[in-house]
Amino acid sequence: MIQILLRDKLDDCITRWHAAGYDVIGPQKNNNVTRFAPVEKASELDLEIILTDRTVKELFFPQTEPMFRYRIGKQAIDTEEYLPPGRKRIIFGSRPCDASAMAIDDPLFGWDFKDTYWFQRRNETVMVTIACTESDDFCMCTSLKLAPDSPLGSDIMLRPVAGGKGWHVELLSERGREAFDRIEALLDDSAAEKEPIANVPKRFDLDVCREWLADPENFESHFWKEISIRCIGCGTCTFLCPTCHCFDFQDEGDTYSGIRRKNWDSCSFALFTMHTSGHNPRSTQSSRWRQRIMHKFNYFPGKFSMNSCSGCGRCSRQCPVDMGITETLQEITKTAK
Amino acid sequence: MSIQEQYRKKAAELLSSGEVKLVIGYGAGTTPDRRRPLFVRSADETSKLHLDAACEANLSGYLVTEGLLADRKKVGIFLGPEGIRSVNILASESQLDPDQIVIMGFNREAESVSALEGSNVRDFPAMLAALKEQAPGAGEQALVERIENMTPEERFTFWQAEFEKCIKCYACRQVCPMCYCRRCIVDNNQPQWVQTSSHTLGNFEWNLVRAFHLSGRCVECGGCDRACPVNIPLRLINRRMAMEVLDAYDHFSGMSPDQETVLASFKKDDPETFIL
Repeated sequence: MIQILLRDKLDDCITRWHAAGYDVIGPQKNNNVTRFAPVEKASELDLEIILTDRTVKELFFPQTEPMFRYRIGKQAIDTEEYLPPGRKRIIFGSRPCDASAMAIDDPLFGWDFKDTYWFQRRNETVMVTIACTESDDFCMCTSLKLAPDSPLGSDIMLRPVAGGKGWHVELLSERGREAFDRIEALLDDSAAEKEPIANVPKRFDLDVCREWLADPENFESHFWKEISIRCIGCGTCTFLCPTCHCFDFQDEGDTYSGIRRKNWDSCSFALFTMHTSGHNPRSTQSSRWRQRIMHKFNYFPGKFSMNSCSGCGRCSRQCPVDMGITETLQEITKTAK
Repeated sequence: MSIQEQYRKKAAELLSSGEVKLVIGYGAGTTPDRRRPLFVRSADETSKLHLDAACEANLSGYLVTEGLLADRKKVGIFLGPEGIRSVNILASESQLDPDQIVIMGFNREAESVSALEGSNVRDFPAMLAALKEQAPGAGEQALVERIENMTPEERFTFWQAEFEKCIKCYACRQVCPMCYCRRCIVDNNQPQWVQTSSHTLGNFEWNLVRAFHLSGRCVECGGCDRACPVNIPLRLINRRMAMEVLDAYDHFSGMSPDQETVLASFKKDDPETFIL
């Protein structure tokens, strides 16, 4: 029998999860921006949002994070480490693209050095994902060979039942089972029909693009200048991207005391590759945009056998000049064929 | 003939006669309601140009792309009144030669656009004088007044909540025609004048530094506001500074390419009571 979680039981679920020591975090609209934030009751959740403006990435990899405090004394150097808070939490209502993106970044944060900040948060988080029954003009998960109900990165998949009364519950991991054991008494047995998942059209041919990108002949192609001519070089696409993971270390303070922080950084910025000498190997915006595309669809898959893109489409949706990965890969698909 | 047709034809003429090397205009966007900046170099591409009420972006920032005007050749560009004002400022701040710019001017109304007569930035004094009379725009007046009437603590709380959202993507800066510095102060890391961290202090620092740098220069095109991916009402800050500058110096930015900069000009008879 299929188990169903009814929407009107959500308040009780949240209460039980809180009692079991979980923080509950979900999509909300606050102050004109949609993002994931802690909730006390179900009415604070906005589960109708197709995709939040900001991604779940910031819950694992915050835009700025203190790492340690240092004090240099006459005799010794004192350091005090900061670590993530260490609380179990449930992210309720993430979308498959956002959840997939966290799984895509796992090998990156763990291949040579295991990033404690990332993995501690990953290990203490239960991703409860809601399969998409709606999409918009920018969604492109299917073009990345993912889907509106991809299980990648999720611990629980919820599939909406017709009429919006609740969700079919699909347990995907031990961590998910543990969290849902707490609310087992609140689940119903049901034969209610699932709503069909969103029909997200395929917008480009990924295999064709990857082959074109892997050909060294195309590295210096005029294509890069043309496609990025209107790029203004802001960090919107990278900061709103759930898989973009570049960071910078900054010491705030002075020579004797201060805090070392890990801050988001972006390959769109000229300063990103600026050498101390003043030389900049990526001195033009087109070489920066090329790097972003190459990284996601050539270098990253070469190393980790996955594309560094889950198809959320935020790069195109929120670009101030209407650029994005979709347009670039569509043009490559045309050029290459 | 619609203004779109008229300007497509004009762009084609300018390009085929060799008067301009490039036309910067608007093209179709990803969705029907979107327009994107479009760079046209030959007459046969001009049919891709669009001009309608969805053409909101102020394209003038592209004019100061490094090297674009270095060959002394002319560039055609679609500009609304704010764009014309920003070309004036760029000229008055010696960032470009206004005679290299061929303007295809338009006024945007709710549902339609109309042509602005003229092609050189000096051709629009009446339109700009009328704009100054209307200033500050009535659109946001209620919200500006609401913030004015707050106590300093309430106002601080309001902006704290807004700046908390900032992710320091610098879209506001990058989209702004007035932010043309080759190296912004926040990108200067020897020394690091402004903290790069996107925490409350860093976000306040960034947004206030920008507000000061735009005082008496912002043309209120709203580009920063539309570009902000987390919807911070940046226009309110710039509107407030523009009101201040208008009130204190009767200065409305971007009136002509010869207009003196309000906070960067020195006069011997400036009253300097605040110093002594």
